Amino acid sequence: MKLYALFKEFSKGIFKENPIFVIVLGLCPALAVSTSLENALGMGVAATFVLVFSNLIISAIRKKVPNKIRIPCFIVVIASFVTIVELLIAAYVPLLQKQLGIFIPLIVVNCIIMGRAEAFASRNKVLPSIFDGLGMGAGFTLALSLVALIREVLGSGKIFGHLIFKEFNPASIMVLPPGALLTMGVLIAVANLIKQKRK
Amino acid sequence: MELKLFLMILISMVFINNFILSKFLGLCPFLGVSRNIKPAMSMGLAVIFVMTLSSIITWLVYRFILIPFNITFLRTITFILVIASFVQFVEMVVLKKSPALYRTLGIYLPLITTNCAVLGVTVLNIDSFFVQKAALHFSFLLSLAQAFFAGIGFTLALLLMSGIRERLELNDTPKCFEAIPIAFIVASLMSLAFMGFNGFKF
Amino acid sequence: MTDKLIVSTSPHLHKKESVSWIMWMVFIALLPSGLAGIYYFGLRALWLILISILAAVVTECVCLLLRRKKITLLDGSAVVTGLLLAYNLSPAVPFWMPVVGSFFAIAIVKQAFGGLGRNIFNPALCGRVFLLLSWPKLMTGFIKPFSNVDAVTSATPLVLFKESAANVYNIGLTYWDLFLGRRSGCLGEVAIFALIIGAAFLLVFKIISWHIPLTYAVTLGLFSWLFSASGFARGDVLFSILSGGVILGAFFMATDYVTCPLTRKGQLIFGASCGLLTFLIRRWGGYPEGVSFSILIMNAFVPLIDRFTRPRVYGKK
Repeated sequence: MKLYALFKEFSKGIFKENPIFVIVLGLCPALAVSTSLENALGMGVAATFVLVFSNLIISAIRKKVPNKIRIPCFIVVIASFVTIVELLIAAYVPLLQKQLGIFIPLIVVNCIIMGRAEAFASRNKVLPSIFDGLGMGAGFTLALSLVALIREVLGSGKIFGHLIFKEFNPASIMVLPPGALLTMGVLIAVANLIKQKRK
Repeated sequence: MELKLFLMILISMVFINNFILSKFLGLCPFLGVSRNIKPAMSMGLAVIFVMTLSSIITWLVYRFILIPFNITFLRTITFILVIASFVQFVEMVVLKKSPALYRTLGIYLPLITTNCAVLGVTVLNIDSFFVQKAALHFSFLLSLAQAFFAGIGFTLALLLMSGIRERLELNDTPKCFEAIPIAFIVASLMSLAFMGFNGFKF
Repeated sequence: MTDKLIVSTSPHLHKKESVSWIMWMVFIALLPSGLAGIYYFGLRALWLILISILAAVVTECVCLLLRRKKITLLDGSAVVTGLLLAYNLSPAVPFWMPVVGSFFAIAIVKQAFGGLGRNIFNPALCGRVFLLLSWPKLMTGFIKPFSNVDAVTSATPLVLFKESAANVYNIGLTYWDLFLGRRSGCLGEVAIFALIIGAAFLLVFKIISWHIPLTYAVTLGLFSWLFSASGFARGDVLFSILSGGVILGAFFMATDYVTCPLTRKGQLIFGASCGLLTFLIRRWGGYPEGVSFSILIMNAFVPLIDRFTRPRVYGKK
């Protein structure tokens, strides 16, 4: 029974409450780093790491934090983990750091992380919070990867840097800002359509 | 020639590397506050104010505290705390001094704290105008200019979007495109148009 | 019997103009330029035009069906969009390009916003810029008139101008060449004389007014004259107006009812700003031609322009 409940916390982040396509949060990185699948996965994993650990800590200290200063406390916790991730990436995957650029420190202000801290972790026990973090992180990564897949294939004809078809003339606009915004707009419209059909 | 550099920063921050249409920083408030012109203007002004002053404070903190004590890796934590405190402080001051101003600007201030744009510009300043932990020539003024014009660019995109969205209210948009998707499509076409400024050189 | 009772709000005036009448008049006005383009660049231009129109019409059909609305192809707006898009393409582009461009123009720029009369940006221009940003090399390969597609690509006058030329004579052309259209460029923009005929037709029938095109051309000419690369007040005004897509853009695309301001004052601001932006992009920007981008940028400003040039309501301050 308990395992099932935990699984539900995890799975809701993937479809029903997908942070990007349903709740529409955390858009800034979704557009900026989705030029290639590699970057998208890197960002997704980094954000999930921060999300899970901040959820963990925030949930653990939730009863001890005075209400008035809870937001700054959350920020400190989240920022610390972001700093850890920053240092880890700089040390082990410096190429990724070059690609993601300022969006690594910007994970701090990623609405998803702050949003989950406020809406869930601060009101629930540690174990469900961890699973919520995992689910949301997974959903975020999946959504990010979908956008990146579309942009990379249509915009440069490659996946993970490998050319797929030789004759295909890629539409460079997809790896440019207008293409990103267009992809998001169309994908969210499709998500809305699916939601409507379900009702 | 210094004037040319400032002009280039202006064109770059407002048009070519527009924070919303090109760098995608500040999208959440952009989508949230851009439905009407008046709140969009207020939000824009608040953002310009916070971005400019935060960049001043964070620049000073970086230059005179983080570098000398060799703790530049604490940049993210320090900056976000500085920004959050600054905004909190401004909100208190505005509430006390002018409730009218608070009603127009103040409610947007908390939205700005967790906004990619402000933290983004402060980090961008460091990346652009510091090399190997030493400040470049005119680094302070350039950072200030960069932040100010980034705010202007943000406000411009926000204003244009709000004007367009007010008109779209009367439209017969297909249901699945309503509200957010169409806002993205509008932004994508605006971004398309602004790409005309690419490659500007004086 | 009940049909005789037509209840409508004032003013009870009836004009013979309707949307479709206007669209078809614009189509007719655009024909001379297309014919000139086919004359200069061969049958390939004709195929491109037909493919573009067909793609636009089919896309509109499909979109209207998906949205469960009446199919109103006869209103001519999709046809005009297809035609204008083709006019903005080089005759050397592959045949799938107008298909992609028309699809984007109709499905995204027009239908996603609600269809006819609801778009904010000019669909044909968006299609053109979309293609330019997606396939820059293919979109900037131009050919000389009367030559084969496989011939050596030649640069348009504006490209040469950007690179070094001071005036039209440096690139081996005369103003008469520009006016007749004996230069490389997009298939619907080169024949200035044909475009002027079409524009005059529209002006006479009061379908467009002179406000936008005139302010556009005058502002562009003025700035090009004053601040050209060859020195203060030594610019080639005629060249700046006759080259590139200015005449096509100013008379047929900037004047599109749906995407231009409502008031006269607003239109003057719109026209002047387009002229200024075109000049800035041509002079200092990265692209040799700025007409498409200028008009699109100003399209984004139109709702704000309308908001701030609202005519004063009688009795109010």
